[in-house]
Amino acid sequence: MIEGVKSSAARDDRLDDLFGALADRTRRRLVARLAKSPATISELAQPFDMSLPAVSKHIRVLERAGLVVRTIQGRVHNCALDAEHLRDAAAWLDRYRTYWDDTLSALAEFAENTK
Amino acid sequence: MTEPVTEPLTLTVRRVIAAPAARLFEAWTTPALLRAWWGPKDVRCIEADVDLRIGGSYRLGNQLPDGRVLWITGAFELIERPNKLVYSWQLGDEPTSRVTVRFEPVEPSGTEVTVFHERIASAAVRDDHGNGWAGCLQGLADWTVAARTS
Repeated sequence: MIEGVKSSAARDDRLDDLFGALADRTRRRLVARLAKSPATISELAQPFDMSLPAVSKHIRVLERAGLVVRTIQGRVHNCALDAEHLRDAAAWLDRYRTYWDDTLSALAEFAENTK
Repeated sequence: MTEPVTEPLTLTVRRVIAAPAARLFEAWTTPALLRAWWGPKDVRCIEADVDLRIGGSYRLGNQLPDGRVLWITGAFELIERPNKLVYSWQLGDEPTSRVTVRFEPVEPSGTEVTVFHERIASAAVRDDHGNGWAGCLQGLADWTVAARTS
């Protein structure tokens, strides 16, 4: 029971981190790019007109939130998306999608019946 | 003019896993748990022996998809439970290299696992190990999810 409360608080904390990391358009674009395929930091920097350290810093935020796995081979930094953590975010959003779907159907029904 | 720098033969793979450091350290050093998660997806850990003390040795039997078994062996050089492990690493009869694993807590409830592999003999061996380690950390992450829900 305590364990359950603890793990649900931990899940909330993880979501804070996750949505915090995604609350930035550059990081969302990096995630979108990595969703297509893994890439090196220089490949990620190209379309952004940003310095390598700046991109690396954004990637570091995504890493700490568990969204990116980094492999450093010599001087080459490879980044890959960790989809598992994105699934947590999607699951949270999904609960509200169901809520809104139901609410909107109820509204439609109400509107239909009071015509 | 700058001197051409030779590429260091080191490899780092890091990943945040949603589990406490102590749990991951245990998974990394307990034979029964290693058998459950060790290795990339297509590799099966068929045997694990761990003598967790300085100078103590370990060995891991990795069964490849074609049935061959590759042994990884080495000895512990440093043990800082639950945050750090250093050990030597020999895959088959390749030259010995060295692995440092760090388990660093990250807020709020995860651990950043960093594998630093040094003294690697060649770039080809390093690149193979890059995939291998990424696969191992994936295996460990999958194992923590499965252990949580079972």
